[in-house]
Formats: sequence, structure tokens, C-alpha cells
Amino acid sequence: MSIRSASAALRLVRLRGAEAMSGSVGWLERVVDRLPDSPVFQFLARHVLVPFWAWRTPVAVAEGGPVMTIAPGDNVQRMMNLVMKLKDPSPIGRAKAALAIAQNVDEIYAGLNNVGTVHFARFVLVGDHLCMFSVYDGDFTNYIRDFIATIGSVFDAVVALIDGGDAVIPTEQNVEAFIDWVHARDLYQVPDLATDLLNQQRDGSATETDIRRLPRALILQLQANPNVSLGSGYRAYPGFSAAQLRHRLEVGW
Amino acid sequence: MGEATIAQRLVEAVRSDFPDHQPGTRPVHTVGIGVSGTFMASEVAGQFCIAAPFRAAQMPVLVRFSNGSGSPVEHDGWSDVRGMATRFLPGDGAAMDMLAMTLPEFFTPNVDAFLQFTKAAMPQSVERESPWRKLIDMLRLELPLPDPEPGETMNGSAGMMAYANRHGFAGEAVFRAGMIGAPVSYARATYHAVHCFIVTGADGVRRPVRFSWQPVSGVRTTDPTAPAIDRYLHEELRARLAQGSAQFMLMMSVGEGGDALNDPTRPWPAKRTRVAMGMLSLAQVVADQLADCERVGFNPCRLLPGIAVSDDPILRARRDAYEYSQRERGATPCPFAGG
Amino acid sequence: MSAMQGAFDPSELQGNILRGYRRAAVRYAVFEVVKPVAARRWLGRSASGGDAEVPAVTPERSWSVRPDYCFNVGLTFAGLRALGLGAAMLAQFPGEFAAGMVRRAVKLGDVGTSAPECWPAPFDQPARVHLVAAIYADDGAHLDAVQRLLEQGDAAQGLRLMGIRNGGNFDGDFVHFGYRDNISQPRFAEIAEHADLGEPIAPLGMALLGHSTGLEGVSWRVPQPSVLGHNGCFNAFRILAQDVAGFEGYLDQTAEQLLADPRGAVLLPPGDEGRIGAGLTRRAALREVVAAALCGRWRNGVPLALSPETPNPEPAVSLTAFDYTDDRRCPVGAHIRRSNPRGAKIVQRVASHTRRLIRRGMPYGPRFDPDRPDHVERGLLGNFIGASLGAQFEAVMYDWVNLGLQDPRITGSNDPILGVNDPATSWFDLPLRDGKPIRLAGLPRFVTTRGGAYLFLPSLPALKFLASLSPV
Ligand code: HEM
Ligand code: HEM
Repeated sequence: MSIRSASAALRLVRLRGAEAMSGSVGWLERVVDRLPDSPVFQFLARHVLVPFWAWRTPVAVAEGGPVMTIAPGDNVQRMMNLVMKLKDPSPIGRAKAALAIAQNVDEIYAGLNNVGTVHFARFVLVGDHLCMFSVYDGDFTNYIRDFIATIGSVFDAVVALIDGGDAVIPTEQNVEAFIDWVHARDLYQVPDLATDLLNQQRDGSATETDIRRLPRALILQLQANPNVSLGSGYRAYPGFSAAQLRHRLEVGW
Repeated sequence: MGEATIAQRLVEAVRSDFPDHQPGTRPVHTVGIGVSGTFMASEVAGQFCIAAPFRAAQMPVLVRFSNGSGSPVEHDGWSDVRGMATRFLPGDGAAMDMLAMTLPEFFTPNVDAFLQFTKAAMPQSVERESPWRKLIDMLRLELPLPDPEPGETMNGSAGMMAYANRHGFAGEAVFRAGMIGAPVSYARATYHAVHCFIVTGADGVRRPVRFSWQPVSGVRTTDPTAPAIDRYLHEELRARLAQGSAQFMLMMSVGEGGDALNDPTRPWPAKRTRVAMGMLSLAQVVADQLADCERVGFNPCRLLPGIAVSDDPILRARRDAYEYSQRERGATPCPFAGG
Repeated sequence: MSAMQGAFDPSELQGNILRGYRRAAVRYAVFEVVKPVAARRWLGRSASGGDAEVPAVTPERSWSVRPDYCFNVGLTFAGLRALGLGAAMLAQFPGEFAAGMVRRAVKLGDVGTSAPECWPAPFDQPARVHLVAAIYADDGAHLDAVQRLLEQGDAAQGLRLMGIRNGGNFDGDFVHFGYRDNISQPRFAEIAEHADLGEPIAPLGMALLGHSTGLEGVSWRVPQPSVLGHNGCFNAFRILAQDVAGFEGYLDQTAEQLLADPRGAVLLPPGDEGRIGAGLTRRAALREVVAAALCGRWRNGVPLALSPETPNPEPAVSLTAFDYTDDRRCPVGAHIRRSNPRGAKIVQRVASHTRRLIRRGMPYGPRFDPDRPDHVERGLLGNFIGASLGAQFEAVMYDWVNLGLQDPRITGSNDPILGVNDPATSWFDLPLRDGKPIRLAGLPRFVTTRGGAYLFLPSLPALKFLASLSPV
């Protein structure tokens, strides 16, 4: 996974440690090898290097959600990671969010059953944010659109508590805007292959990919995009839709 | 140019990357150890592949683990690709081989590119990157060149990196190979057969698939900052097997339209249907390593009815390359060559 | 939300939406807007009844006398901008239309040989595809006459002709691959002459902006001012090449396979060949059985859902009044069942009946002669129309035609006729009256996209509004 590789890279993987080579390695090398872990370098990186490179080689905020391909396996069990800032992050505001969801359990469950393509869905409060994480099959816009049709009112209740949410309610009359709004809050999913991360950031003209740029590419993407999903995630039984699983488990679909 | 010529060129090309190659040994994956055990197909394996290894309940197997390097000197602790060659012996004199390595993808999509790649990867003398250079890398937020291993004076890293930067397809493999590290045990690494094979199911359906072995004891590499130890993998395996067995699950991913079916440089996403095909249990290190392991010649195209090679040009070229190499080094012709 | 409009007046619509003209020939002329002022002047003249120099946009109406030709226009998002529509108004159009067909390629399965990079001119320059005019007539002379009008006066000044595409009927409603097409269409209560075909009536909002959609309580955004968006709709204009030799070859290959497979006898009991067609060999009869399964209709149009055994049922059956209540008659994966599952149980229950498409198409290229097989390009000039591209055309293409999400028995497979099939992985299940289905494999891609554009089909008042935009 590119993340793991890149972070390993930042720590200079094949660096055998000064101890390992004490005979042949001078002090400067030792210092440099240890530098990435030193507070001074970390301070410099954070306040000078990252802003400098972000300015020098700007990276566009990557689009949220899974990448589009035609392979069926990529189009089932897709992950949505919605991170939505609460208008009122106080315990009272957060309790309101908790209540809005608790009061609508029937609506949500019936809605999800009728949308038919959702494997898992849950709400999570993280600090100032209400998050909705789900695993669904097929197209994101169909999922949201069908969902609005069945539980638009619940969306309205929840979205009313979110920063910027008022612009898109009632959702039934703002379908297109609401879909865009949700998409904008769905986390970017870092590609599983290192080279894909580089390719995403390569502007059309460049023909070379320098794999040594990977750490920078990742850092700048994270600078532009504070919350991301690390890769597309693990699946125990990839390749099957919710209905296929229900069908094969003989519990009806 | 006949096929023998391509095989010969391929073998010479890999050999040329290891100047200290010893005649009579494998040109790559030179240092290894043979182990015997059994494979037990899962209850669904036969539905997906009717080849004998996936239908029989249980059968003997021979496995050879190896370090990727073609150098005769054992450097277990160096960051390097490892190999796992498995011969399934389902009985009646039949044999099937599955060659796998710890890298999930290959460097090049075809033979010509591979020949160029081996040229680029020709070892050059290496030194640690100068601290100044490293500092600049860091300021640029770039990956420094990997340090050579202690005592390593020549390697192909810089050449491979340069090649990958010119040829995008090599990037993933070069990048990952650079990070691969050393396993704490041959039994604690995942090995991938990389290429696509075509399996025929009990219902007659042919599916493009890729195989991987996953260790039941989990994947673990050595601490990259600790001093590298040259010899431990053989002893570790002997000790482990003396205590019990080591197991691997054989996982098979089913390819889909849009996947790189014939391109070994592109791993398939983990989102493909994954079938548990069976469990390998290693029992003991074979007694006569010379006769029963070093002299043995595995071949990725030694398959049985029910599983066939795909159109991956690298896979297809490997058939003759391995035969040529084995003739050259005087390996025992496969006693089960019927397969 | 748009204010409720007055009574629905069909004559404000362009005439090619709610019904087909059924003319013998069509010509699509693709234009770039080069001088917006002249282009708008031309559009205004055309939308206001035309004159000697400018062909009139044909409105929705029932004819007493058929005109010599019909003429309609659609605009891409780039076209609306080029005409001078301001950013605030443009921003109200849906994202998929704004993105344009090219940027939706992966979603539509336009990859590999269908990828926009492979499209010939003028579709290789999507940013310059602004206006697509459609001329319908019964002969080439009339098409030429209208095209000449488009090359003079305001049209010549304001628009640059980028390319044309000609289509023509060669056998009534039959299309390449030999099926009868143009049978099922959504019908609307508001159009009186629509015959009762025994299918559910579609709400007008399925076709037009500003009316209630099939999804309860849900309405699509109507670009404002209301005159601009109201009664408008979207069209996925697609140029779809059909590999007839490949298709017929696949039928041959599958017939051979079924001759060898003992279950072929369950599919078509030996001796029953005559009910498929008089004098057919067993191989020829099996070919027709497979062709019917792939489409869901026999080649003569008779639906499998009503007549699974024969294309010539006695008594005759309706071509349209059917459903998929008897699951085994029509393969779940058949083209017509995939693209409109009707009342069948589907996974996305909420979406039942909401993704209907109005289809207007005409074949292009010479008719295929099986005795002299060739690879000349031929196919379908198709228009897939609805009030929302995202909720209808794209939803059908992405979730149903490809992927097959609507029924777990076909999920992971693509439409046998239309899908992005790769012979290495494709499959299609032929149901048997008893026992497990026969799985066909190795389907190649029979239909390749060769161009297209997402078009807005404005109402006549909207065209006049566009014509009246202030100079830019
Ligand atoms: C063009 C590509 C390749 C060439 C030319 C090549 C060549 C060779 C040769 C000549 C040998 C020694 C054979 C012998 O003398 O017995 C060998 C061994 C081996 N190769 Fe490859 N190889 C290629 C690709 C791969 C790939 C993609 C894999 C992994 C899937 C792989 C895994 C192995 C393993 C595991 C061994 C050791 C077999 C043993 O233990 O006997 N090779 N290779
Ligand atoms: C060259 C490509 C195509 C061919 C040869 C083709 C062929 C046919 C045929 C023969 C029919 C049966 C006639 C009828 O029911 O009216 C049909 C129906 C239909 N097709 Fe296609 N088609 C093509 C492309 C498409 C596309 C791109 C779509 C859009 C997603 C589509 C959607 C439909 C729909 C919705 C029906 C009517 C199903 C019903 O209401 O029962 N087709 N097609």
C-alpha cells in the first residue's frame, strides 16, 4: 500500500542505522540519517518545506469517493466516508445529532432496505464532526438519489445540523445540489498503488514519473486534503453485491 | 530467431546482473532450501479449477524457498525478493509447479522490455548517497536512494530507478522492490504467482485468475534499522518445522473485464473475488538438499489439465527460459515431465 | 423550485421528444458556435417558425399533412456557454450535463476501443461540439435542401459545420443485428394519441423538467429563469457502431456449442425446430433461440416474456403489454429486461419504473449481407432522452446495462448486446425450463461507441429566450 511504503520511505527504509555501520559512517551521515525524526527537521518540514513545495508544485484537491473503473469488483462494496462539520459542536449540538439519528431508526432501516444496495451504514461522532460511513454497491449518485426518495426527511433533519447544510434542504427539492454537497464531503481515497498516486498528480504534459517524488506527492495531497481514506480498504468477501450475498445466504433479497 | 534464442538471451540477461554467478547453479534464486509437506484443497477449489491438485483431498508437495539474488553468497538479511517454488504431486506420476515471489508484480510487461530492463539493472558500483545529497533529497521531500547493504559494493538500484522513471510500467515493481525488506522467516512472507492463469471450473467456465500464498503465521520483516544478518533463514525454518508445521493458504483472485489480464506489471485490486483454494502444510526440510532440491528444475508452465497459461508474454517466455537454464546447469529433467 | 406552471401545452416542446417522426432518413449536423450574435439570431428565426432562409424548429403536434422535413436542435453545455448563457444560469444545469459525455466515459463504459480518444471527427474535439441539429425527411434531396439552408445567411455566419452523420431506415423498424426496434416507449397521459399499450403510463417528469418525477416527492432542478428550463429535457446522443459480423459469428459459435451440449436438447427439444421458423435447420433454429435470449425479444419483436417458445405465437401476443412475473421466460440479463425491468423484482426497489428512457434511433451504414460479410462501419444513431441524465440514462448504463446490479443473478455481468464485454470474463445465462441455466461465455463487445454528446433539448420558448440573450 502506497501509504505504508511512502511513510516507510520518509523514514529512510534501507538505512541500516548508524550502529550497524559505525565503522564506515561519519558523524554527518549519522546526523542526516536521523534527521527525519529530529524535532528541528520536523519543525522545518512543517513550517517551511511543506508550504514551500505546496506553493511551488501545487496539488489539486483530489475528488472524493472511489475511483471509477468498469470492473464489477470495483463497483460493488464501495466505501463512502462522509465527514460533516457540526454547526454546534458542543455536547448539546452533538446530542442533537445523536437524537436526530436515534429518532429515525425505522425510517433509516426501511430506507436502506429499499435502496437495496447498501451493505453497512453507520453514523459516528468524531470531535466536531458527524460522520457517516457506509459500504454500497453501484453508483454513488443513484444511491443518494434513491435514498433521498425514501428518507429525504431524515436527511433534512440531519443536514440541518451541519455547517452549510441549510443550502441543500429540503433535499427532495435539491437533489442535484445535495448529491454534489455529499460528494464534496466524501473523503478522497488514496490509491492502492504508489504509481497511481503519482499518476493522479502528474499534469498531462509530463511523461516521466519519478518514483522518488512519492513522499512529496503524498504529503502535498494530505496538505490539500486533511481527511482521507487510506486506500480502498480490506474486504473479506470482495466482488459480491449486498443482494448477491443475501441471495446466496438464502435470506432473500 | 528461434525460441531457444529468446530463452538463451533471457537467461544470459538475468545472469549478467550477477557477476559472481557460479556455473551449475541457478542464475537467479540461487540460494534456497527444499521442504516437503502436503497440500489440501479446499472444499470449493474443485468447483473453480478441475486440475488434479484442486480435486484430490490431500497430496504431497515439494517447496523450494529462495533468496532472489543470483549471487552464490547468502545474504538473508538483505532487502531482497524471495521465492517460493511449489511442486504439487497429486499422484499417478503427475506434477504441477507454481512459482511465486514476494513481489506482487513484475518489472516489465514483455520480453523486449525485460531485456532492456536487465541492461539498465546491470550492477554499478554504489556508495551511500552523500549526506549532502540526502539532505537535498529531504529538503525536496523526495525519497533518497536506498543505502547499499553493508559490504555491498555493486548493485542495480540506481539503474532500475532510472529505468522506472523512463518506463512507467516498471515503477510499481521497482518501488516495491526497493522497500521489500527481509522476512524473519521464509514461512512469514506472502508469495505471489504474479501472472494470470486460466482455470477451468467444474461447470466448464474458464476464468482468469492469479494466485498468492498467505502465511498462516502472518507476514513479518526484520527491523530495517538493525544490523543485517547474513544467514538465518535456513536454520529458522529447520527449527520451526522441528516444532510443528508451517502453513500457507492458497488464495486465488478472479480477474474481471478491465483488469490487466496479460500484464504482470499491474497487480489487480484487492476487490476481486477471492477464493480460498487450499492449505499447504510444510512438514520437514528435505534430507538430500542436493538431489531433491538444488538439482530440481521448476517451471511456471508445468501445469495440469484444468489450468493453463494466459497470454501474458512474460509467462509464456518463462517456459523455455527455465528449461534452457536447467539444461545449462545440469538439473535433473523433471521426472514427471509428462505434465 | 420553479413556480407551478400553467396548463401543459405540448406545442411548446420540440417535436422529436414525445413521439418519433417515423421518417425514412435522418441527418445530424454538428456545429460549433463561432459568432454568438449571428448564431442567436439564426436560432431565434428558427424557433419562431423559420423563413425562406432558416428551417423552422418542428414543434410537438399531430399532423394532418406530413411536412417535407422536420428539424430540431440540441445544445451541449459548451454550446449554451458559447451562445452567451451566463455563469449563474449555467451553474443550474446538472453536473453530468456540464461535464459532458466525454468526461463521463468510464461511467458509460466508453473505454478501450469505445474511448473518446478513439472517436472520429467531429467528436474528437468535444469542446467544439456545441449544437447538434437533426433533419428528418423521407429522402436525401430534402435533407440536402435543409443542409444548404444551414450553410448560408446567419447560420453560415454564426455556426461552423463540424461534421454530419446520416442515418436511414432499411427495413421498417429493423436495426442491424436483425431485430425489430422502436416497440417499447414510455407513454404519457398528456399525449392523447398515445395508444394504450398496456404498459404503465409514465409521469411527464420522466421526460421533461418542471413536472413530477417517478420518484415520490423528488423533483429535478429547473434551470432558471423558468422559461429556460421548464419543459426542457436531456438527450444522450450516441453513435453506436455494431459489429454485425461478430454478432452473427457469435450466434454460430453458440449454436455449435449448444449442438454439442446435451442441455441444448432441453433448450430446444429436437423436432421442435419448426416452431422457431419453417424449414430451419437445428443449427439455424438454435441461433434464433440464442438471439432472442440476448435481446429478450425474437428478432421479429415478439417478447419472450409472452412467447418463450416461438416467435410466431397463435394467437398473436401483445408486443408491449407484458411484465416479468414468470421469471424463467425471459433471461434476467436480456437487453430489454436489463434496460427496463418493468415490474420485475429489482434490488433497487425505490427505483422501479423510474429509469425509463425515451429512445429515438435510426440505423446508419449499409445493411449487412450475411452472404458477403464485411466490416464496413454501421450501427445506430441513438438518442436516449429523459429529464435527468444521471437518474435515467447514466443509471441504466452504469448500474444495469453494465454491472447488472438490479438482480443478484446477473450482477457482475454486462448486457450481452450492448455491454463492455471482454470475452475472457463475460458471461450470460440462458435459462432452462428446468435445471440450472446454461452459461454462455466468451461474448465480445458487439457495440462500440464512435461519438456522441450530452444535449439539452430546450422548449421553443427556451430557444427564443436563448436567442434573446444580450450580446456578449
Ligand atoms: C522474464 C522473466 C523471468 C525470467 C527470465 C526468469 C528466469 C529465471 C531463471 C532462469 C530461473 C532459474 C531456473 C532454474 O535454473 O531452475 C528462475 C528461478 C526462479 N524464478 Fe524466475 N524469471 C522470470 C520471472 C519470474 C517471476 C515473474 C517470478 C515470480 C512469480 C519468478 C520466480 C522465480 C522463482 C521462485 C525461482 C526459483 C525457482 C527454484 O527455486 O527453483 N521468476 N527464474
Ligand atoms: C446499438 C445499440 C443497441 C441496439 C442494437 C439495441 C437494440 C434494442 C432492441 C432490438 C430493442 C427491442 C425493441 C423495443 O423494445 O423497442 C431495444 C429496446 C430497448 N433498448 Fe436498446 N439497443 C441498443 C442500445 C441501447 C442503449 C444505449 C440503451 C440505453 C441504455 C438502450 C435501452 C433500451 C431500452 C430502455 C429498451 C426498451 C426496453 C423496454 O422498455 O422493454 N438500448 N433495444
